[in-house]
Amino acid sequence: MQQAVDSLLSNRLRSFLMMLGLVVGIASLTAVICIGQGTRAQVMEMVAKQGWDLIMIRAGAAKQVFAPTTDRTVASLMEADAQAIEAGLGNIRYISSVQNQRGWEVVYGDQSVKTRIFGVGPDWHLIRRRPVERGEFLAQADLVNMNRVAILGFRTAKMLFGAANPVGQTIRIGSEPFQVKGVFVEAGITPGGDDWDDRIVIPFTTSSKRLFGRLYLEQIVVQVRDPRKLPQTAEQIRKLLRERHQIRAGAEDDFFVREPEDVKQTALATSSTLTTLLIAISAISMLVGGVVIMNLMLISVSQRVHEIGLRLTVGARPRDILGQFLFEALGVALIGGLLGAAGGVGIASLLAWKGVAVSQITWIPFAISIAACGLVAVAFGLYPARKASRLDPVVALREKRM
Amino acid sequence: MIELENLVKNYTKGTVVTEVLKGVSFRVEKGEFVAIMGASGSGKTTLMNILGGLDKPTGGTYRLDGVDMARAGEDELSQIRNRKIGFVFQQFYLLDRADAMKNVMLPLIYADGDGGGTARAEAALAAVGLAARKHHHPAELSGGEQQRVAIARALVTDPLILLADEPTGNLDSRNGLEVLALFQRLHREGRTLVMITHDHAVAEHARRLIVLKDGRIVEDRPVDQPRDAETELRVTQDASGAGPS
Repeated sequence: MQQAVDSLLSNRLRSFLMMLGLVVGIASLTAVICIGQGTRAQVMEMVAKQGWDLIMIRAGAAKQVFAPTTDRTVASLMEADAQAIEAGLGNIRYISSVQNQRGWEVVYGDQSVKTRIFGVGPDWHLIRRRPVERGEFLAQADLVNMNRVAILGFRTAKMLFGAANPVGQTIRIGSEPFQVKGVFVEAGITPGGDDWDDRIVIPFTTSSKRLFGRLYLEQIVVQVRDPRKLPQTAEQIRKLLRERHQIRAGAEDDFFVREPEDVKQTALATSSTLTTLLIAISAISMLVGGVVIMNLMLISVSQRVHEIGLRLTVGARPRDILGQFLFEALGVALIGGLLGAAGGVGIASLLAWKGVAVSQITWIPFAISIAACGLVAVAFGLYPARKASRLDPVVALREKRM
Repeated sequence: MIELENLVKNYTKGTVVTEVLKGVSFRVEKGEFVAIMGASGSGKTTLMNILGGLDKPTGGTYRLDGVDMARAGEDELSQIRNRKIGFVFQQFYLLDRADAMKNVMLPLIYADGDGGGTARAEAALAAVGLAARKHHHPAELSGGEQQRVAIARALVTDPLILLADEPTGNLDSRNGLEVLALFQRLHREGRTLVMITHDHAVAEHARRLIVLKDGRIVEDRPVDQPRDAETELRVTQDASGAGPS
C-alpha cells in the first residue's frame, strides 16, 4: 500500500493524466445526479404546491366544461362513480365527491352574505390542500349523519363574524341552520380566478339531501399516490367511467378528466435532454479515462520493469505485485473520482445559478463516483497489473531500461 | 548448505534445445566464500539464477538448506528468496525515488513482519559503513556506496547465503576493492558468500574457486593465496598519493 502511495506521489504528472478522464467523467455524472435530484425535488415541491397529484373529473363533455355556465346541470356523475374509482384503482390516495351551487344566502345575526356552497367528502381539504385555521374539517361522521356543519372561507367568516370566533356559532344557509365547525386559512385568489376565501364547505350528503335536493355531482377530485403514474391513472379512470356510463365506442365522454397542466412534463423533458447529454459525456470520459489508465499503467510497468524484477527477486509474490499496481490504479481513480465529484457539484451549482437547471447536492454522487471509479480502476488496471505480476524476475532484471 | 548434484539446465527454443548446464555438482558449506568463474556463455548466470531460486533446473537436484528447490512451489520460492538468500547485482537495482533506508527495507515488505524493520535496516546500513547516509537517495551516492546500500538490502533479512552476480562489474577498481573488502569482512564474520564473476582478479578474493566452462565444472579448488582487499586499498591509496581517509 505504502509502495503504491510512494509511487503515485513520485510520479505526479503521470498520476494527474491518469486521473483526467475520470475527473471529467465523474464531474458530468455528478452534475447529472445533482440536477436529477434537484429536478425531482422541484417536481415534488410543485406537486405539493400546485396539485400535480390532482385529477379532477367533471360532469359533462369537455366542451361544456369551460362554457361560461353558472351551475352546470349535467347529471352524469354520481357518488357511486367515486366509490367505484376508489375501489377499482390502486394509485388513489384520497377521493372526494364535490357538489356546488352559487348564490346561497347565508345569515348570522344581522349579517348576511351571498356565497357559493360546496358539498364535499372528509378528505377534500387534503386533496385540494386547504388547511383549516380554526376549528376542524369535516369528519366521516358528519357525512354519515348528514350533519348540518359548515367550514367557512376566510373572507366569508370575516364578513359574517368580523373579529369574533365563528367556531361553534350557528349560521343559516337558506332556511337550514348550520353549526360552524371550522374556518379555512386565507388562500387569496388563484391564478384561475377562483376566490377560495369566499365560500362555505359542508358535507356533500348534507348538501345533496338537505340543501340542493339532488344526487348528481359537479366533480370528483382525486389525489394520486404516485404523481409519475398520474397519466395512466387518469386513463384508467376514463375507461372505468365510460364502462360505468355505458358509453359506446366512438361516442363522446359525458364527463371530463382533467390532469394537471403539462408544465411538469415539459420541465422534466428539458432536464432529461441535458441529463442524456451529460450521461453520454460521462460514459465516454470514463471509457477514455479507463483506457488512459490502462496505457499509462502499461508504460509504467515497462518503465519500472527493474523495480518489479527486483521486488520479485527479493521475495514479492506475484500477487503482491498485482496488489501494488491495482492499488495504484485504485488510488488514482478514487482521487480522480472525488475531484470529479467536487467538480460536478460545481458544474451543477453553476447551471443552477445560471438558471439552466435546478440542482440538489447530496452524498449520493460521491458514493456513486467512488463505486464507478473503483470499477474502472479494477477493470482497466487489471491487465497491466497482471502483466507486471507475471514478469519473470530474471528477464525483468536483464531488460534494458526505457 | 548448498548441494548440487548433476544439475542440468536446457533451454528450448522451438525445436532447438540448448544445453546450458551439463551436469554440475558441488556443495557449499556454511561460512564459505566461493567464487564461481567463467567466460560469458559458460552458464554461470544460469547457475546463479538456479542457485537464487529464480530458475528451476531441468534435471539433477539442488537442495538449499535441505529444501529440494525443484519441487518448491512459486510462493515457497518467493519465501526462500526473501528469507534465505541475499541478492547483490551488478547494476545495484536501487529504487531511485527511495532513500537508502527505504531501499534497504524493501525485502522486509515481503517478509512476515515481526516489526523492528527500521532497527534492522539501520543495523544493515551500519554493517556496510553507511549509517550516516541513510537518508540519501541513490543519485546522491557514489557507485560504491550504491552497491553497499544494495549489500545492506541483501543483509537485512539475515539470509543464509549472499549471492553476488558480478558485484564489482559496474565499479571502478577502487570502489570494487571496497566492495570486496566488505565481502571479506562479512566472510570473516561467518557469512556464506557465493560470488559470480568473469574476472580472475576479483575471484581471487574468495577462498574457493569454481571454474565453469561450457556448462561443466572444469576446476574446483581452494584459492592458494587469497588477495586481501584492504591491503590492496592501502596500496592504491599510497600509490595515488592520497592520504588515509
